[in-house]
Order: sequence, then C-alpha cells, then structure tokens
Amino acid sequence: MKFHHIASVLLAAALAATSAAPVLAQSIRIGFHAPLTGFAASDGKSAVQGAELAVEQINAAGGVNGRKIELVVQDDQARPDQALPLANKYIGDGLKIVVSGSYSGPTRAAAGVFHQAKVPYISAYAIHPDITRAGNFVFRTSFMGEVQGKAAAKLIGEILKKRKVTLLTLNNDFGQALTAGFKEVAGRFGISIASEYTFGMGDRQFGSIVASVKKDDPEILYVSGYFFNGGPLVAQLRAAGVTAPIVGTEGFDTHNFITVAKDAAEGVMITTSLDRDSKAVPMRKFITDYETKWKAPADMVAASTHTAIYVAAEGLRRGGADDGTKIRAAIAGIKDFEVATGKIGFNELGEIYKAAQVQVIKGGQFRFFATIDDPVLLAPPTK
Amino acid sequence: MDYYLSVATFAALNAILALGLNLISGFCGQVSLGHAAFYGLGAYAAALCAVAGAPIWLSIPVGMLVAGVFGVITGFAALRVREDFLAIVTMGVGFLFLGVVRKQQWLGAEMGIARIPSPLDKWGYALLSIGAAIALLLLSLHIRRSWMGRAFGAVAQDEDAARSVGIDVAGYKITAFLLGTAAAGLAGGIYAHMTQLIVPDAFNFVQSVTILAMVVVGGIGSSWGVVAGAVLLTLMPEMFRFINDYKLLVYGGLLLVVMRFSPGGLAGLVFRLTGRRLA
Amino acid sequence: MYLLELLLVGLVWGCTYAMMALGLTLVYGLLRILHVAQATVFTLGAYVGLLVANHTGSLALAFPAAALSAAALGPLIYRLVYQPMLDKPPYVALVASIGLLIAMEDGFRLLFGPYGLSFTRNTWFTTTYSWAGLSLNVVQISMVIAAVGLLSAFAWFATRTRAGVAWRATVSDPAMAESFGVGVSGVRYQSFFIASALAGVAGVLVGLLNNLVEPGMGAMIGYKGLAIIVLGGLGNVPGTLVASLLLGVIESFGTVYLDKLLDRDAIAFLVLIVILMIRPQGLLGKAH
Repeated sequence: MKFHHIASVLLAAALAATSAAPVLAQSIRIGFHAPLTGFAASDGKSAVQGAELAVEQINAAGGVNGRKIELVVQDDQARPDQALPLANKYIGDGLKIVVSGSYSGPTRAAAGVFHQAKVPYISAYAIHPDITRAGNFVFRTSFMGEVQGKAAAKLIGEILKKRKVTLLTLNNDFGQALTAGFKEVAGRFGISIASEYTFGMGDRQFGSIVASVKKDDPEILYVSGYFFNGGPLVAQLRAAGVTAPIVGTEGFDTHNFITVAKDAAEGVMITTSLDRDSKAVPMRKFITDYETKWKAPADMVAASTHTAIYVAAEGLRRGGADDGTKIRAAIAGIKDFEVATGKIGFNELGEIYKAAQVQVIKGGQFRFFATIDDPVLLAPPTK
Repeated sequence: MDYYLSVATFAALNAILALGLNLISGFCGQVSLGHAAFYGLGAYAAALCAVAGAPIWLSIPVGMLVAGVFGVITGFAALRVREDFLAIVTMGVGFLFLGVVRKQQWLGAEMGIARIPSPLDKWGYALLSIGAAIALLLLSLHIRRSWMGRAFGAVAQDEDAARSVGIDVAGYKITAFLLGTAAAGLAGGIYAHMTQLIVPDAFNFVQSVTILAMVVVGGIGSSWGVVAGAVLLTLMPEMFRFINDYKLLVYGGLLLVVMRFSPGGLAGLVFRLTGRRLA
Repeated sequence: MYLLELLLVGLVWGCTYAMMALGLTLVYGLLRILHVAQATVFTLGAYVGLLVANHTGSLALAFPAAALSAAALGPLIYRLVYQPMLDKPPYVALVASIGLLIAMEDGFRLLFGPYGLSFTRNTWFTTTYSWAGLSLNVVQISMVIAAVGLLSAFAWFATRTRAGVAWRATVSDPAMAESFGVGVSGVRYQSFFIASALAGVAGVLVGLLNNLVEPGMGAMIGYKGLAIIVLGGLGNVPGTLVASLLLGVIESFGTVYLDKLLDRDAIAFLVLIVILMIRPQGLLGKAH
C-alpha cells in the first residue's frame, strides 16, 4: 500500500517533469463501510449501490475540484467488533473522510474512533441517537427514529384524523426509537394507544399478533419493521381480513416490500425521506439513474447513502482533500444543500432537519400523499 | 499503528473468550453454545457500574463476578443434563440472555448502553487485554498440569468412572464454568469500556459460534492451540478484506474443512507433523 | 374465541416445527448428530420450490421438486461430511454442521441475492376459508395436512413395513441389527432421505406463508428444531411431535402475553430449560 502510494507520487512527479501535459491528479478516496455479508446484507447491497451511483454521477460531472473521487468499500457484517479495526485501518491508510452505510452498532463504535482521529464521519441511515454525540466530527444525513415517529403521529392524528391506534413495533433500535417518538407526542394529536405488540427481526409468522389486532379492532395501525418482516406482517393482516389503514416507516421504503406483500401493500402509507413524485432535479436524477444503472427500483437506504456521499463530496469541495478539520468545518457549514433526499443542512450536533415525506402505495408504486414540514415538531436534538 | 493495535486488542479479547470456553469445553468436556451470553453479562455489568461512576478497576471485576455467578448457575444446570442436551441448553441460555436484555428498559433494551466512560487510550486497552490474555494462558497451562486439570480430564473422558474413583464431578464442573465464564466477563468488561456502546446483538448466537470455532480450529483442550485459533480467526477477516463478498463462505468452509480433515484443529496438525503435543 | 384463535395459530406453527424436527430426531436417533445443517436443506427446498413454481406457474409442482432436491442434498451431506466423522467426538460433527450452515447461507445469498425472492403468484396464501370466526388460508391448511399426512406415513413406514422395522432395529441397537442382516449404511441413507424430503416440503410451505424465500430463513427454525428434539427426548419420535405442538402453542400465547418480558425466541428456550431442569431426559424420553 505504502509502496504503491510512493510509486504513484513518483510517477505523477515524473510525468509533471517530463511533459507539458497537466498533472494527472490522484483520485480522492472516501472510506465506505456497509454490511455486505451477514444478516443485514440486503441493506448493505442497496447501500453500496447508492454510494457507487453517487460516485459515478459526481465524477461524470467533473469530480471534486478537478479530481475524481473513489470509494474504499469494506464489509463490517453489521458487527461493532468488525467496525473498530476497520475504522483504524481507514485512518491508518490516510483517508480523510469516511461514510457509514451500516447499522447503529458498528457505526457508533467507529464514530468515537473517527472523532478522536479528527476524520469526518457521516452516518447515512443508522438511527441510534448516540452516534452524533460521539463528537463534532460525526454527522448524520437521515432522520432520527424518534423524529420519524413524531411525523407519523402527526400524520395519523392531524391529517388522517384517526384516534385509536395499535402499535406493532419491531424489536430493534429502529423500531423502539420510532415507537418512543410516536408515544411522546401521540397525546398532542389526540391519539390513544389501544394496544402494542412487538416482534423480532427474524420473525415472519405473526398469527397471534394478527388475532390480537382483530380482537382490539383499532382504527389504524402503526407498523415498524423492514420489508422482510413488515411485508409478511402486512400480508398476513390483510389475508386475515384486517381492513384498518396501515402506516409504516422508511423501513418499508423499498420495492421489495411491494413484491413481498403484493396486493396487501395497496393503500399502505409510509413516512420517509424519498418522494418518488418529486419534481426536484437531484431526486429525479437519482431515481432514474439508479434504475438505469442497477436495473432495480431505488430504495430509502440507497437514497440515504447516495445523499451521504454527496455531502462528503461537498465537504471535500469546500474544505479541500487534505485536512480533516477543514473538511469537518465545511460539512458543518452546509446549508440548503439539495440532494436526493431533499434540502439539507446540519445543526450544531451534526443532525439534519428535513421535511418528512408521506408516500402511499397505489397500483404497486410509491406515490406522493403528503409532506409534513414542521420544523418545531421534527427538530432533531441539538445536544 | 492504531489499526494494528485495535486488531491486536480484539485478538487478545478473543483469546480470553476462547481460553475461557476451553476451560469448560476442552478441559472439562462440557460443550457450550452460549458463551457469548457471559461475554455480554460481563459487558453489561461493567457498563452499568461505569455509567454509575465506578472506576475501571472496579467495574471490570464486577463484570467478571456477574458473569461468573451466572456461569455457576449454568454449571448447576450442567449437572442435570449431559452432552448434547447440555449443548442445546447452553444455546438456550444464549437466546434467553438476548431475549431478556432486549426487553429491559433499565438495560437500554435494543438501544443498549451508550456513553460508557473510556478511561484508557488505545495502548491502554491493548496492553490490558494482551496482559489478561497472557495471564489466562499461564493459568490455563498451570491448571492443565495441576491436580485440578487431571480431574477435569477425568470428568471429560468418563464422568461415571471419575465419580467411581472419588472425584467430585459436580464440584469440578461448576469450577470449570465459574472460571470460564468469569474470563468471558473480563473480556466483556474491557470491550464495553473500549467501544463505549454495547447493544444486545453484539452477544448473539453467531458470536457464541465464533468463540467455539476459535476453540475447535485451534484444537480443543490445547491452550496454545486455542490462542492460535483465536488469533487466526481474528486476523482472517482482516486478511480476507479483499474478498469482502465471500468472507462468510470462506469462514464456514474453513470450519467444515478443519473438522473434516483435522478434527484436532491446529494443535492436532502440529501433533501429526511433529509428534509433539501442544499444552 | 380469541384464545381459540391463538391456539389454532400455535398448532399450525407447531406443525411446521414438527416437519423440521422429525427429520432432526431421525438423524439424531441414528447417529447422535445434532444436524444443524438441516436448515440449509430446508432453505434449498424453499428456493427450488419457488423457482419451479415461478417458472411453471404451478404451486403444486413446487412440492415434489423441493422434496426431491432436498432429499438429494441431505444424503450428500451425510456422505461427504458426517460419515467420516462418526467415530470422532460429537462436537466435531456439530461444528462441521454449523460451518456448513454458515457457508451455505452465504452461498444462497451469492446465488440468489440478499433480498430474497417472492412467489409471483401466491394464490394459496390469499385464498382463505373461514368458519365460526376462525380463518385459515390454503397454505396453513396445507401445512396441517402435510404434517399430519407425512408424519402418519412415516409412522406407517416405521411400524408396518420391513424397511421400517429394520430402521427401528438399527436405531435401538445397530450392532444387533447388523447381525440380523440389516444394512446399517442403507438405513442411514434412508433416514437422511426422509428427513431432508420433509424439510424441503416444510421449506416451500414456510416460503409460501412468508411469501419470501431468503438465505437465512432456515436458521432459527433449525435451532428451535434442535430445542424441540431435546425437549421431546432426543431420538424419541412421539416426544418430538408433542414438543413441536407444545412449543408452537406456547410461542403463540407467549408472543402476546409475555411481550414485555421476553422475545419470541427466548420463550422457546426458556420452556426448554425449565422442562429439562425438571425432566432431564425430555418430555417422553427414557431416564438414563
């Protein structure tokens, strides 16, 4: 690695000395880790595809300050003990910015290391509240779970005007954060929680939960989970004759959800950050380019990592490619930056505010339903 | 440098876990598929103490104690059931630990425990874990040579025969569980302080299998072999970073191939090649 | 009514466990091997069944295809992995089996992608029959029919046919059986064949129920299958059936009533540990 580095510097120097041609600039490396193998490999794949698309688009548009950017992808298996050596490796290899396309465990473990080494670190979609609290070199480009839960409460209580809700919560940090945020503000929107049931990441069979929902007969359901457990859950609810509307989360924001739940997915609403019907250019370009490049519909994980890479590139553009502290300051200064997931900017904790998109599934497609733009309700924490 | 330090630290932590399991499964013959639960117990106990303000020299021993106490309880269970029954019961202990922790708000549930104080630097954790691993290795080697080691061996080989010659089978089994799980608690305590965030999933069944894999790849019963197995399997994902996508395929395949062609692990291989038994 | 529905849900799910666990207990009864890798046989059956169904448009064709492919893989695993390890300590086969499971799960991911695959037309799942407020879809009904039918067929085989008698003789005393001219090796292959075919069929049914076939779908059912055979008394077929249904029902009620204390997977193993502490030989196992 070192030899390679020296060799390429020498080569560049030799070229500069012997020809009048412009110096062949080395590409800027951006670290990127995601769960390529293990239980979270499906999100890992979307994450890598979103990131690679961002790199391709940025390079096609001339790169960053005339230099190409390049991803250094590593697998963390969604395990914290894999993330620590990996973080140190990135730092040891001299990378000046790293993006996490992974879950909370590994991201939080790595965040402390990057902060100490003064290397800016951007979490694309991990939701644990403590990630950005690792220090001011750490940023996040997605909603926090609590914030999204609050958006869902507003959707249910104010827009849909439903009162009696049953919560079906996924047992992981994502599900618990969503439910916590939802419960915190439910009273404010006149919502009463009729009942709450939980399920695990590996559960696919929900017979007893479905029977309980039938008994409780709520006006509406708020369901967390991902396509692989939420899809079967929604399908089983509908197959058993539960007709109450279902509000999901960005965990359902992938076409796989519709593939699994099929007709049962019709009418399901989700809170997310990706608006398929948006006219905004960066979002349109992301959605169409993604489908062209990967022959698959874009999802939320891909959009979030795509966004995070754009933020990283913007940091490099404004802060230069050599000094982590300058890049950090540049990222912290980003305001109203238009990316695939909307207009974003960071607060003093490194969190973003953005409006929540409500999408509804119609004719097997995600469609615009509403936007919840409430800077007070959806304000991320500042410390 | 930091990279090598963190890899060395994890190799040492894994060596502690594997040596602990080796005391139970290798020396005393009680196969356990739930060792990560004790790693987790140590981590959670130490984290709670540290968050409450206890210094690291207190929180880590508390982690060892809690893990050891639950280890003794599991040891009593091991008196009721044998061999394959025990393997499945210990697997159950692992799932039970996770299932309980996931639901306890005072343990942070799925969010885990965050902002655990980290009083040492990278060198500190590296030296602490390597020092602890060496101490445990020496203890293991000593036990092997001692009367206790022979008694463990007798229990592992044939419980009934051991009992008939007056060996306190129950006592030795529980001792093995106590020592092995306390070692896991030690690793857990160091891990909690070092990463500053612990979540339930870090101590799942996959982790238990990983620890068992280190023991059997190294050579069950051989302390040096087990340390070598731990170091090898820690380094393997690092060495195989270039085949990111096939890492688990290679890992699973390695377990299979070692068991198929050298069931004694690395220690067995050394014996076959040199005729020397690794202690 | 609600309680009856929970009971029904539990029994249906118990049938799934039974189809998985019967095979595990056959293998254990014969070879003393905890066949963790049965989970990959289950997953293979699900993938083959799904591919056949999606290509031919016939869900019914998925079952023979799954049963055959699974029944081919199981004996192969025995021949290549377990057979050379029979004289080694039990952990050797156990760890090898876990290694095989890890490798195969990742193999499925590399072959078929990490997102899993869905049935394009899953009419069995959407067709439901209701009576007296209870409703079951065709997949659930098939699950019960398959479990009852295949397990009865197995009982018939074991008690009424020559091969079955030979099989039972081999389980209780291999050396004696051999001296009476029973081909022990053939019996072993038969057991893996039956166990794997059952797992393959269960795989398709679970795939239909979830409308999702994924690389890791077998693991948890496999682990719980191991808990079930221990609970039933290792190698004890009736005990395995009782334990399967019991676990299905307890999980069904536990998911609702123990929700604040434990997750679903922990409930299964808590039951296992408590019962084993009271009856170390399992529910219907014989004491040592």
